[in-house]
Amino acid sequence: MNKSLKKNLFLAACVLPALILFAVFIIYPTVKVFISSLYQDSGLGNVSQFVGLDNFKAMFQDDVFYIALKNTGFLMIVSGAPTILLALFFAAMLTSGKVKESNFYRVVFFFPSILSFVVIAILWSFIYHPTMGIINPVLHLFGMADLDIPVLGNRNTVMWAIAVTIIWQAAGYYMVMYIAGIDGISKEIYEAADIDGATGIQSFWTITIPLLWDILKTTIIFAINGVITNSFTIVRVMTDGGPDRDSEVLLTYMYKHAMNASFGYAMAIAVFVFAISIVLSIISNKVTGGETA
Amino acid sequence: MKSILKKSMSLLLALGLTASVAVGCGSEPASQPAPESTAGSAASTEASGSTGGTKEFANKELNIAVFQGAYGRDFWDALAQKFMEQYPGTKINITANPKLGEMIKPSIVSGNPPDFIYLNDGDPSGVTKGLIKDKAIMDISDIFDSKALDKDSNIRDLILPGFLETPYCSPYDDGKIYLAPYNYGVMGLWYNKAYFDQKGYTAPKTWDEFFALNEKAKADGRALFTYQGIYPGYLEEVLIPAVYAAGGQQAVDDFTSYKEGFWKSEPAKKTLDIFSKIAGTDNALMKGTVALNHTQAQTAFMQGKSMFCVNGSWFEGEMKDAPREDGFQFGFAGVPGFNAGDPAIALVSVEQMYIPSKSKNPELAKEFMKFIYTDTAVRLNGEKAKAVMAVKGATEMVKEYITPSAYNCYKAVEDGMKPVVASLKPVANGSKINISDEIYKPFSSIMNKQMTVEEYADKLEKVYAQVRDELAKAQ
Repeated sequence: MNKSLKKNLFLAACVLPALILFAVFIIYPTVKVFISSLYQDSGLGNVSQFVGLDNFKAMFQDDVFYIALKNTGFLMIVSGAPTILLALFFAAMLTSGKVKESNFYRVVFFFPSILSFVVIAILWSFIYHPTMGIINPVLHLFGMADLDIPVLGNRNTVMWAIAVTIIWQAAGYYMVMYIAGIDGISKEIYEAADIDGATGIQSFWTITIPLLWDILKTTIIFAINGVITNSFTIVRVMTDGGPDRDSEVLLTYMYKHAMNASFGYAMAIAVFVFAISIVLSIISNKVTGGETA
Repeated sequence: MKSILKKSMSLLLALGLTASVAVGCGSEPASQPAPESTAGSAASTEASGSTGGTKEFANKELNIAVFQGAYGRDFWDALAQKFMEQYPGTKINITANPKLGEMIKPSIVSGNPPDFIYLNDGDPSGVTKGLIKDKAIMDISDIFDSKALDKDSNIRDLILPGFLETPYCSPYDDGKIYLAPYNYGVMGLWYNKAYFDQKGYTAPKTWDEFFALNEKAKADGRALFTYQGIYPGYLEEVLIPAVYAAGGQQAVDDFTSYKEGFWKSEPAKKTLDIFSKIAGTDNALMKGTVALNHTQAQTAFMQGKSMFCVNGSWFEGEMKDAPREDGFQFGFAGVPGFNAGDPAIALVSVEQMYIPSKSKNPELAKEFMKFIYTDTAVRLNGEKAKAVMAVKGATEMVKEYITPSAYNCYKAVEDGMKPVVASLKPVANGSKINISDEIYKPFSSIMNKQMTVEEYADKLEKVYAQVRDELAKAQ
């Protein structure tokens, strides 16, 4: 046996276990999702009937699906962008060396990221509690009793309330990533800018942002796709999609169908979610320029 | 969360049913086996004891599969032990699992099901529903027409009235019983008994009395009513009894079978008006209710923020660690009627036990099922599972094992509060309609005054029409 063949065999043997695991746990289920979406299937293994694209047709005629889609989109914009901006702001502040307690704040801001989503959702449903929470009494304190509405029970406020929870949860996590990125930027560059008379804000825009761009791109994709999955837990615990259907998001709606013996339909929604995450990732990658990330 | 609750609730219910069935079996077979009843082909040999004889079974091995949920598996272990003692030579193998449905599905699909199955009402695997649909469950009417193992009356007469006739037990409307009732749960309106006693109020018997209490509630600084806001499905505990009060069993059947025009009918109108009145009357609905989860709403009720709250017989156990106002006592009022003199009504749910048609040992399975309806088993179930079977007198037998509030609740039903058992007929196979969500979710909008009950009725008529269409096509 020649040497290079031997080496290739060895490499193949090394890669194989990971490949098998990847195939079994990632590729197979994903393919299965696509296949299931073409069937009318209770998910119980009894009768499953090929229905072609019927599930998708039904999906595009389903009012609640559009509500869920709209709400998911709303969360991506209303929680995605502020999360990133807030995280950047905190990172910049805490690395500037002007905040004495920066280590303390690092911990505090990162804290939500190590809490489970369920805990966070329960915590916030008490913050929003109409009588025991902190929001409504504060409104009364400032004489704004008219605004005293149960935020999670009102269709006009419920999605904003959920967005705030998601921002609170995620900002600290991205902040830590940005801090790591900023710490990696050589100090000399900042010093040089300083000597040239650049203000803090100028060096932030002209040094920090460009040199952080790769990390930013990655986190933008994370933040957008993260909303799709994170919103499931938050919504499920805090509102169960209510009031009525007003806070339904794509994954809670998918879950409800999967648990209601319309598994094929749920998988059609899953395929749609898969598609939009891919498309959004590509778009955000293109918009932010470059092949990396 | 609601689903977990529902699950445990239905479990409770099922347990209750079994309990009542077991009560049927009456007197404790003291030391020696009492089985003396019909039970199929088994040859029976006379035993010495006065209590009865020991039957011989060709196949002495029984495989039972039981859901292991809030009630645990202790009852089944202890019961099997007792059964094996009384029927020497028999062997019972127990499969118990919290995900029992998923677990036994393969064996059912391969035509080798357990001989006896107890699954919780809210079981997500759909095994019970599937077997009902496939008519793969054995007709067990003969069990109920045979003598109880420990009493001189038919098992049918031991079961609480109103249970065996429901779709829970006879799903095909053919007068035959396919699923045996196990534990049951009772649901309705709860109030603080100590507060009512102290103020001299009485629990409302009619909806007029209910709304009349609003003034008093307001004067006492509490709202009239609250419910588990983000899980409006709890409102079925008011809705279904109210439909029954307004239109009797016929109206409930119309509701559960998606009858055209139901939501425009007089009973539905009367029922929906209650909700419209709760939403529209000052102080009637506790502030912020729509935004609260079940724990928050129930805690607020116990803290005296609201006069009434809907929930089931598990209430006290569920909230045992929750803060409450001084002297709080659970009081169960059921659901009021519309006319003076109507009995209070309680929604009741039931857990089911059944024998698959393809059971390898139906004779022994039937004997085992009868055994569950003996007093011994009812007590054992109370002791080990803290649950009440749907058997006359079960409540008294298990009194020492259940919470006082649950006792009062079950006792009320045994003493004449009208139990209403209702389950929505399954929608068509492959349907994308989640009927329970369709019915109950919009109640948030009604309570927020963003939807009128007329709009709701129109919407539900459309949903019902769609369900009917799909069912017709699926035929």
